[in-house]
Amino acid sequence: MIGGDMPGWTEDRPPVGGALFGYLVDQLPAGATVLVAGPHTDALVDALAARTSVTCLVRSQPTAIELEARGIEVLCGTIAKLTDTEQYDVVVALDGLDRLCSVEGPQLDWAESLQALKRALRPGGMLLLAVENELGVHRLVDSASATSAQTDDAWRPLGEFDTKPGNPTRLAETLSAEGLAIDWLGSAWPFPAAPTLIATPNALRDGPVDALAAVTAGAVGRAYADRPVLSDPRRLAAAAVRGGLGPEFASAWLVVAHRAPRPSATLNLPPVLISDGPAPSAPPAQAVPPTGAVLATGAMPPAEAGPSAEAGPSAEATPSVGSVMELVPDRDGGWTRRVIRAAGDRDLSALNGPLPAGRLLEELLLGACLRHDLPLVRRLLTGWMATLPTATPDNIVVHKDAFTLLDGTLPAQGDVLRRFALTLLGGGYAHPWPAATDLATLTSVLHGAAGLPDDLVAVEPGLELPLPDSRREHEEQLRALRRQLADAASRAQWYERELDKREKELNKARLQISAFSGTVSYRVAKLGIGVARKARNRIRKGLR
Amino acid sequence: MHHANHFYGHAHVMAEYAGLDPEHPPRINGYLQHGWNVVDGLGGGTPYVPGRPIFVFSEQTRRRAWSMGRRQATVVGAPFLYLMTYAEPAPADQVREGTIWYPFHGWERQQVRGDHQRLVDEILETEQGAPVTFCLYWHEYRNDQIRAEYEKAGFRVICHGYRGHMWRDTDRFFLHKQLAELRRHKRVASNRLSSAIFHGVAAGCEPAVYGDPMYLDKEHPPTAERIRRQWPELHGKHPDPVDAYASAMAELGAGYLASPAELRAILGWTARRPAVVTA
Repeated sequence: MIGGDMPGWTEDRPPVGGALFGYLVDQLPAGATVLVAGPHTDALVDALAARTSVTCLVRSQPTAIELEARGIEVLCGTIAKLTDTEQYDVVVALDGLDRLCSVEGPQLDWAESLQALKRALRPGGMLLLAVENELGVHRLVDSASATSAQTDDAWRPLGEFDTKPGNPTRLAETLSAEGLAIDWLGSAWPFPAAPTLIATPNALRDGPVDALAAVTAGAVGRAYADRPVLSDPRRLAAAAVRGGLGPEFASAWLVVAHRAPRPSATLNLPPVLISDGPAPSAPPAQAVPPTGAVLATGAMPPAEAGPSAEAGPSAEATPSVGSVMELVPDRDGGWTRRVIRAAGDRDLSALNGPLPAGRLLEELLLGACLRHDLPLVRRLLTGWMATLPTATPDNIVVHKDAFTLLDGTLPAQGDVLRRFALTLLGGGYAHPWPAATDLATLTSVLHGAAGLPDDLVAVEPGLELPLPDSRREHEEQLRALRRQLADAASRAQWYERELDKREKELNKARLQISAFSGTVSYRVAKLGIGVARKARNRIRKGLR
Repeated sequence: MHHANHFYGHAHVMAEYAGLDPEHPPRINGYLQHGWNVVDGLGGGTPYVPGRPIFVFSEQTRRRAWSMGRRQATVVGAPFLYLMTYAEPAPADQVREGTIWYPFHGWERQQVRGDHQRLVDEILETEQGAPVTFCLYWHEYRNDQIRAEYEKAGFRVICHGYRGHMWRDTDRFFLHKQLAELRRHKRVASNRLSSAIFHGVAAGCEPAVYGDPMYLDKEHPPTAERIRRQWPELHGKHPDPVDAYASAMAELGAGYLASPAELRAILGWTARRPAVVTA
């Protein structure tokens, strides 16, 4: 107990963890004294405790008691009470600096918390720090704002109003001003709490940009598979990486820094680290309907669908047992992927080897659709169906005419063209068949354009991977539905007019037929009766 | 949707390509562009039913249609190109000779102004003694006076057939006949850039557009001038055939043709829509 501890308080957001953080802490020098500041998963703490001498700084008393029960050294209280009497070889703050102050005592902002942690570091000691990017893709697509958070830990929701630096350069400057020199920096996606992709600025600048954009899109795509968002985070993340703005729009930055004068130990980290995250083969039990289903069924999605993206994934959902891969430049100027930590049942050996070059098929297809380049769209669809007909287009890269799987270990999917039709409709993308506004028609058009027969195989909706559930796309679907409804109404009027015309023609024909059928005397009599009836009616009218 | 889909047997050609009954094509779920034009692909006066696509020849026409508020224009390419994919090839011993000349036609209720005799003289001078076939629009062909005027000049006068009206009397072999005639000639010419010139280029003729353009009574001359400005490579007595070919094929949507399966899905023919039946 150092003071400012919170009895009866448990953190309402999960601690940070995941396979990549697990890999990072495993690189720390064995035997070092380590201060773990803030909530980190048990898995992380235990992994550290096995190799180093760990002390945890937590504000929650129940958590402190649990840690102590497991034999971990604990400082329980607020960071403001941390003194420099004890200094450590390493300070691990992968949760950032937001959950170090308790409700008691002074409320340190980001810069002040950093100073407090620095004081706990012995000269030459190493700081492992995560910094959330307030303009990161996870914030930009979040329907909730950090400054109006309603969780119990948000008693001072500063969000972007904190003193946190806003880009990697400023971060380096701020650390440097505190006497902390950066040894390594990585940009992380999709969430600060459990990244599945970390890449250095150099890799993002000089590396295989299209493949990295694809990997980034995949990382955020998996994370947001069934979460409500403002707009599709895959496009945002991929566009940022392709446009050279990867670090600026990453969800967080991770730094390894040392306290001046010079580092007593260094970490040897690869330029790109990837984790496979949660197993993608199992869709969540309560997946919200895919966005395009709105168009297909006419039903609106439930207003409250799934957990809010604000909280991020729980570390439990992203177990630290995930596999870890690295991307490193090879001698030929290409990049090689290597599985450096395998976990689970999946055989990942297929992932070892050169990283396939080229651009993501899904992006090429969308680009060709937006350009209305039908010949290219058909060529891509045909090539896809001829080579990898059971892979989704967000798992295929295309280089010239070569179609290659990005991740060959993912399970085969059913009607992937139907899924692409969903992407086109759900995302409101312009494409060459604008009149095909329903899923079945567009799917059969895509089948035809891909050189397949146009008869469709029924797909059970439950077996499909969910797509991001985006507010912007709902707007577009609403607009499309309104237009279709208006069109249908005026079409109904047109049909009525056509029907009137046809009925008139039919009456005329009937009259002609009856006038020319029967014997001559019958026709004369009929004509006479008709004339007499008319005359009688006229007289009656006149009498009134 | 609209009876213009059946003009010139277009719907019939598409049905045959798509593997359906060419004699009784199903109703097309939209509007098939029935001739080359510089607007949105629809013929003037076609009552447009909202939410239904216009199936246009080329991407350029689609862009134009979009700019005119037609959001559902869909590029399929010209029916003539579809016909060429499955039509019998020309007889091996057939030699191309002379020029097939398509004088600009108005449609049934339009009257063309112009001096036919002056046009005949200019054709005779330009074609320099090569045989000339004069292909008239059906309602001019039925006018004995017009026909006689061209026959007198020594032209062979033909007509490809009746384009049809309200799904009736359509000559479904109109395009077949046109293709056969075009393949017999070396050049295709007209006094206006029109579908026939594009079809001629596709069928292997060298194009020419010259002579009095013969404006219609209520025609908008700036449009005709715009056409000359935009497609100079197709105008003149002897335009460069290579440039002309590239330009004409782009206008017909070459490279954009759909596969039979895709076409069935696009035209709404997968559910086996009933054929349009008329007396």
